[in-house]
Amino acid sequence: MTGATLYSVSAALSALLLGAVASILPAPVSGWLTSADVVTGLAVLIFSAILLVASMINTIMLIWFERKMLGRFMDRRGAMHVGYAGLLQNFADGLKLFRKNTFRPQEADSLGFYAGPTAYMVTSMILFGVLPISTGWSSGALPLSLLLALAIFSFAPLFIFVSAWSSNNKYSLIGGMRSAAQMIAYEVPILLAVVAVVIVSGSFDLNVIVNEQQNYWFWFPLLLALIVFVAGMLAEMERIPFDLPEAEAELVEGWNTEYGGMLFAFFMLADYVRALIGSILVVLLFLGGWTMPSWVPAAATSFPLAGIFWFMIKTYAVFGLFVWIRASLPRVRTDQLLRVGWNRMIPLALLSIVLAAVLVTVRCLPFLGCVPPVGG
Amino acid sequence: MAASAPKENPTNPLSGVVRPLATAARQFTKSLIRPSTIVYPYERLEDPKFRGKVAVASGRPIGVGDVWDNYRGVHALNIATCISCNLCAFSCPDICIEMVSVAGDDPKHPKKCPQIDYGKCSYCGFCSDACPEGCLTMTTRYELAVTKRAEMVYSPERLHEVFQRKLPMNPIRLERPANEDAILLDAPLCIGCNACARDCPTKCITMLDVPKPTARPGEKLPRRIWKEPVVNDSDCVRCGTCISVCPKECLFWGTHK
Repeated sequence: MTGATLYSVSAALSALLLGAVASILPAPVSGWLTSADVVTGLAVLIFSAILLVASMINTIMLIWFERKMLGRFMDRRGAMHVGYAGLLQNFADGLKLFRKNTFRPQEADSLGFYAGPTAYMVTSMILFGVLPISTGWSSGALPLSLLLALAIFSFAPLFIFVSAWSSNNKYSLIGGMRSAAQMIAYEVPILLAVVAVVIVSGSFDLNVIVNEQQNYWFWFPLLLALIVFVAGMLAEMERIPFDLPEAEAELVEGWNTEYGGMLFAFFMLADYVRALIGSILVVLLFLGGWTMPSWVPAAATSFPLAGIFWFMIKTYAVFGLFVWIRASLPRVRTDQLLRVGWNRMIPLALLSIVLAAVLVTVRCLPFLGCVPPVGG
Repeated sequence: MAASAPKENPTNPLSGVVRPLATAARQFTKSLIRPSTIVYPYERLEDPKFRGKVAVASGRPIGVGDVWDNYRGVHALNIATCISCNLCAFSCPDICIEMVSVAGDDPKHPKKCPQIDYGKCSYCGFCSDACPEGCLTMTTRYELAVTKRAEMVYSPERLHEVFQRKLPMNPIRLERPANEDAILLDAPLCIGCNACARDCPTKCITMLDVPKPTARPGEKLPRRIWKEPVVNDSDCVRCGTCISVCPKECLFWGTHK
């Protein structure tokens, strides 16, 4: 694994492909094709394509995972007819939605109606380029990648609101309004909880934050911040119990009432992309990312792609927690959400900042070892 | 009056979050090995492995040999013992039973047996309750999907095929009430035509001679056969066929004095 990164693999693939094509083309074109700029450009494209396909497959697997797990919570089995244990059910569903006619209400605003889901999808997918999955799998060293990820992540209510308003439907509009209203209630606690992580790790770079957790993961000293972050993420991902904008019991289907076919699939997929990214963020910030504690035997952490393996295990476990919460809790009211956000989560997040500051000052904790000096 | 606080407040950390999570986790671990669902096309309740093992929400087990025997599925008809009494068709609330002729021994008087349209049937079981001979019963067979509407109509022969499969049958039978109405005769109206005795499915009506009265001078005796039906109440199934065939309407329902 040393040295072989996703980018180096795609660069080698790009050089190989372009070299093969250049060998059968006349000299000026082949010379241009094998120049460093073109090879780099194609390498970036290949890199993105691999990342896109991998993240999409993971997203669809996540839907399968949720369906199976929810089934067990409800004493049933979930999807099980298409493919082994229903593994291909969601691909079949996607194919069905893809074949369906997309339908726009007559009075809907065309631009917003079509641009909303697209932008929602795109901004969610961009995040995969920002988040490091394992060593060598990140697209580059971004000194502020955490801030960038959270910034892109919080775009979503805007696009939800645009598509809801464009739908020209009262249920859509109410859903969009709720989405915009609850954004402020949870964005503030999330960012405050992240500040605690940043104080301990001393960096906004997700790579650095993960490397800081070599000694111990942040979830234990920053348990308060983790709770606030997970609760805020639930609201950010608009999952039960904070799925007020969708609230199918009262708002038909919330802000995507008027959407069908592939446009609905966009929303659906982007929802799970965001759920995946929320789980990934929890893993990166609190559960040590791709690192494992030192007491884990070396054989379990040194095989090829071990980092990604453990990272995915943790991600799916965190998503399992989200499913567990979804299966247990009822949907809260708007006032309850706002009260939880402002009255409970913000004080808790502030408290966790204080705890983080104490941790950095004390530097060492019993059983846990010492925090590295600030700044890595 | 003070407003009582709701028991489960979603914003209460203990009752609103921790307890539901614990409940869900308990359910999850319970159904992790085997959920209650029986995966129907691949598994069936009739499988012996489900005997008494599948618990429904109430905790009562369902499976072969338990509640299962009471299942009201397709009917089974024993044509041999059917007496064509029409009681099944008469009791059917959905009017889905029609008495049709079956090829029998006597070509002159073809036997009539019930034909059931399962497109209309509501599986109430009144017909099998009413059947006096126990020849129309309900079985546990529940797979009725067909591709043509006409296939929903089960002729007596098809119902007899179901009977020949010897499926578990619904044992519920209604007891006859002790004070059941009987067939009574309004004797002065009777003309002794034998129609009732001829059509009685159980042959429980016999025509007995009545003494021909001697006509007083000037009196004209009615033109009739000097016989009267006598109903054997223990054999009678109360189908009412005699009442409906009587040309003089001299038979009626009533209680013996």
